Amino acid sequence: MSDAAPTIQNRLRDEILPPLIILALALGFWELSVKILDIPPWLLPAPSDVVDRFFKTTTLWYHTGLTVLEALAGFAVSAVLGVSLSAGIVHSRFLERGVFPYVIVSNAIPIIAIIPLLTIWFGFGIAPKIMICSIISFFPIVTNTTRGLKATDRRIIEFMRSINATRLEILLKVQLPSALPFIFASFKIAASLALVGAVVAEFYSSDRGLGYLIITSATQLRTDLLFVAIVVLAALGVSSFMLFGYLERVTTRGERSDETQ
Amino acid sequence: MEARRQRDPAFSEVPAPPSVAASGPAFPCIVLDRVSLRFQSERRRVQALSDISLSIAEGEFVALLGPTGCGKSSLLRLVSDLLAPTAGTIAVRGEPAAAARRLNQFGFVFQEPALLSWRTTLGNVQLPLEVVGYPPEKRIARCEELLDSVGLLKFKDAYPHELSGGMKQRAAMVRALAWNPSILLMDEPFTALDELTRGQLQDDLLQLWNHERKTILFVTHNISEAIYLADRIVVMSPHPGRIKTVLRPDLPRPRTDDFHETQEFMKWTRMAREALRS
Repeated sequence: MSDAAPTIQNRLRDEILPPLIILALALGFWELSVKILDIPPWLLPAPSDVVDRFFKTTTLWYHTGLTVLEALAGFAVSAVLGVSLSAGIVHSRFLERGVFPYVIVSNAIPIIAIIPLLTIWFGFGIAPKIMICSIISFFPIVTNTTRGLKATDRRIIEFMRSINATRLEILLKVQLPSALPFIFASFKIAASLALVGAVVAEFYSSDRGLGYLIITSATQLRTDLLFVAIVVLAALGVSSFMLFGYLERVTTRGERSDETQ
Repeated sequence: MEARRQRDPAFSEVPAPPSVAASGPAFPCIVLDRVSLRFQSERRRVQALSDISLSIAEGEFVALLGPTGCGKSSLLRLVSDLLAPTAGTIAVRGEPAAAARRLNQFGFVFQEPALLSWRTTLGNVQLPLEVVGYPPEKRIARCEELLDSVGLLKFKDAYPHELSGGMKQRAAMVRALAWNPSILLMDEPFTALDELTRGQLQDDLLQLWNHERKTILFVTHNISEAIYLADRIVVMSPHPGRIKTVLRPDLPRPRTDDFHETQEFMKWTRMAREALRS
């Protein structure tokens, strides 16, 4: 945009390099400590062992894919239902008063408590996991989107009404675009919650997925595999966080740039 | 009730509706007949406007002048059917205000520009054209012509945050004119601007008004702004909002900057101030 925009090289040096250096130092310290103190691998595997296990575990991508699929499907269901419900809540006082208490209830019930119930009803397959992911990510999406839709400049809405715009036009042209930063901020939270939901659901009742991998490797004291699963989960969480964080930033560019000038 | 009203000195100054209508030209554009507006909040009822009767001619520039809380802004929202009156009727060219709104007769400008931050200047000006069903192939040409007339053509691809306050307000003004509505409703549009910019925008507005003769209802609490711009000044008083008196300066146009130094301008400023104070 402006000529002061950081170049790729500058960003690499200023933003990417420092955390990489810290990581390298920490890993080196870890590796050395394990080797020098001769810590048994079931207690704490060396980073090199974890990397080794990562490449040797051929089924890793199958488990990861399944967990991602569950989380993504649940999140997608919540995103569509949540944003639609928010649009309804903003346009109807009845819906707001009638539905919002239950949205709060859905957040108050501990998700762990529902997993056995959903397993009784829907079995050990993928369906109950998707439901868990969807329930756990629903609340932040609805609350944030509703807040964003309500935060629209009242005057723009008055302007739209004065030219006889329909509610749908106001929603699509004004309210939704102005709520996008709020929506992506909620997606950022919801996506990581969905991932947690998938793993927790797999803990309880599954024979595949990253959650299953974690539980079995822990019970068999295959700590290196446990670390692999954790690292993969962390990487997934960070990527979804970065994706939606980026979308959030892009959509707020207009409001934010006053401070950068 | 009636007797008490008669004794109220403020009320006795209100011109009776027929005389206002009679003093205006033959084609009234907007007619308010004994309009009242009450807001019902949880705790109390607020009488925002009481017994407003006013007739505005086609192509007339009318300023609503009064302190904060006199219901001037509510009056604009009543005329444009954003609010419904508690009592009385509002007619726009003989039809209810709702009909005029459906025909996209109103262009609204607010104190804040209220532009969409994710649209460029051109995109913002185009917004109403998308809603009112303006022919798509003519939209850009129309917007560019209007932007050019207020010196914003160079900034058509800029986003609101890249514009100055004056530019944003110009864009908001152009947005309210884009589909050529016949009535312009302006709610303290220049209040947030600095003195110099305000002067420029006032002149821009007069020029646009000269070009495409609109009926303008202009809300302000700035006396000299009202006299500089308007044909007729409706002076209002608060709690509840009512018309105190109507001034008709009838000063020559076009008006330029030295208009502010003329004897006539001073005289009417004094009269308006006295009317506000009394």
